[in-house]
Amino acid sequence: MISPEIIEEAKQMLVDQNKAKVEEITKKVIADGGDPLELMNQAYIPGINKVGDLFGRGELFLPELMQAADVMKIATDLVNDALATGSNVAAKKAGRVVIATVKGDVHDIGKCIVVSLMKANGFEVYDLGRDIDVDTIIQKADEVNADVIGTSALLTTTMKEQKVLEEALKSAGMRDRFLTMVGGAPVTPRWAARIGADAYAEDAQDGVNKVKELIAQK
Amino acid sequence: MAKIFSRYGDGTPLELDEKELMEELHAGTEDAADRAKVSTLTDDDLKHLYEILASPYKFVSVEPGKEVLLTYDAGTLKIRRVGVNVDRIQALQIYEKIMGADTMELCHVDYSYKPLKPIVTMEQPILEQALLSTHIPLFYGAMPNLGLYSQPDGPFPNPAELLPNGKIKEARESLEQTVEEAVRDIVFAGSAMYESGADGINLDSVGAAGDADFLASLMATKKLKEKYPDICIEIGMAGEFILGMHGELEFEGTRLAGLYAHDQVRLAAQAGATIFGPVVNTNTTETSAWNLARAITFMKACGEVAEIPIHPNMGMGVGAVPVNDHPPIDSVSRASAAMTSLVRLDGL
Repeated sequence: MISPEIIEEAKQMLVDQNKAKVEEITKKVIADGGDPLELMNQAYIPGINKVGDLFGRGELFLPELMQAADVMKIATDLVNDALATGSNVAAKKAGRVVIATVKGDVHDIGKCIVVSLMKANGFEVYDLGRDIDVDTIIQKADEVNADVIGTSALLTTTMKEQKVLEEALKSAGMRDRFLTMVGGAPVTPRWAARIGADAYAEDAQDGVNKVKELIAQK
Repeated sequence: MAKIFSRYGDGTPLELDEKELMEELHAGTEDAADRAKVSTLTDDDLKHLYEILASPYKFVSVEPGKEVLLTYDAGTLKIRRVGVNVDRIQALQIYEKIMGADTMELCHVDYSYKPLKPIVTMEQPILEQALLSTHIPLFYGAMPNLGLYSQPDGPFPNPAELLPNGKIKEARESLEQTVEEAVRDIVFAGSAMYESGADGINLDSVGAAGDADFLASLMATKKLKEKYPDICIEIGMAGEFILGMHGELEFEGTRLAGLYAHDQVRLAAQAGATIFGPVVNTNTTETSAWNLARAITFMKACGEVAEIPIHPNMGMGVGAVPVNDHPPIDSVSRASAAMTSLVRLDGL
């Protein structure tokens, strides 16, 4: 278990956008045998949520937000690398997930956190990145025989791409092959139901839980 | 316990009992008060809001004599957007003579001051004809839209590309340069349309590109007011607080990033604006009750300090009106009635 002091310091350093310090703490925790997932869940996710909240309130501004996102990316990469090589990887993969931020949308901090948690929970994750068109998503899901397709949209103007995906899957006669999950700031459970998605994820942990439920019911 | 018909911020219907409705109202006002550092609504305000929201009628309004002005931005675009194929002057006439608009705005489809610049001489005769075909005060309006001044649409490096690469200083310099260009364009086009007879100039969706956008609007307003002391200028906002794209820009000593409506209106008046249009965003995942209590809390604080008339925005996605292509009339009328009866305002 990582000490509360280290957790608090890691969280604060992320909020303060201190790249060097976050990198140092993360590497040290991993080197000392600490659980990188605990660091992510207890320090960095609450930290980036705090940054998002301060930004949403107009108390922290875009330059600081971008710097915090940059620091979070470094933390996420370090944690993901550790998870990929550590004992956290389940011997048998829990399922295959293709995940992307939809076409026209370049926001992917939240999606990257979802990827981290899914990897940590033993899923085989294919992260296509951001601004990804529907055809590419379907092609990859078909290629890897995915269980779940997860899409993220941060804008009301781009969330319609999630509906386009549902329709494209139906048109291609592939809707029954994949389970679909949607998420992102403007996305709601009602939107998921309206477009015919199989699940809505409120946040990263909810996304992991929903994917587990979906695959269990498959 | 009786169920009360309500909606979420995306228009989806739901039912709440009396206790749940009151809890939503309390949560909404507390959220706004916490964010903007203003007072929560009083118990009497919340009771009044409750009565409006719990009304069994589909359409709710205000008592006779308490009506307010209805002014519309971009109506000449919106009527065509819903498939009514009329030209802009006909659109203005429909708003005035059929829909009862008290003021209207003529605008061009690009709806930004920068692309207006090369076609301003084409817009002037349209405005003159429109003025001869209508009776209500007629604004000419567009957005400052500072996004058009950075690459690929403009000459300056794109802050949205610089910031993710850690080039914060360069991004800020770029934003500062866009302000100068935007002010020049707004003053040029605003002057031309005012001299063609516009009853007012509208700067719409101010702040959409962040604090630089707001700064350009304030500076342009000040210059236009100095040039034409009798000019009427409306500043209508884009969102509930000023997004800090730059983060450190100031207008006459006041930092702009993070300002909420009650601070924005002070600066608008200081710059010389005649009317201020504050905005509160609608949250799609919360209820109409939560959104409305929240919107009124922000707006009440704005109205209390305003020294110029305010016209809160009550369109799709703002002012507790649901984010929906066709906002339901039950929500629109309740939000409008509540805003009118609880906020010191002059129009919607």
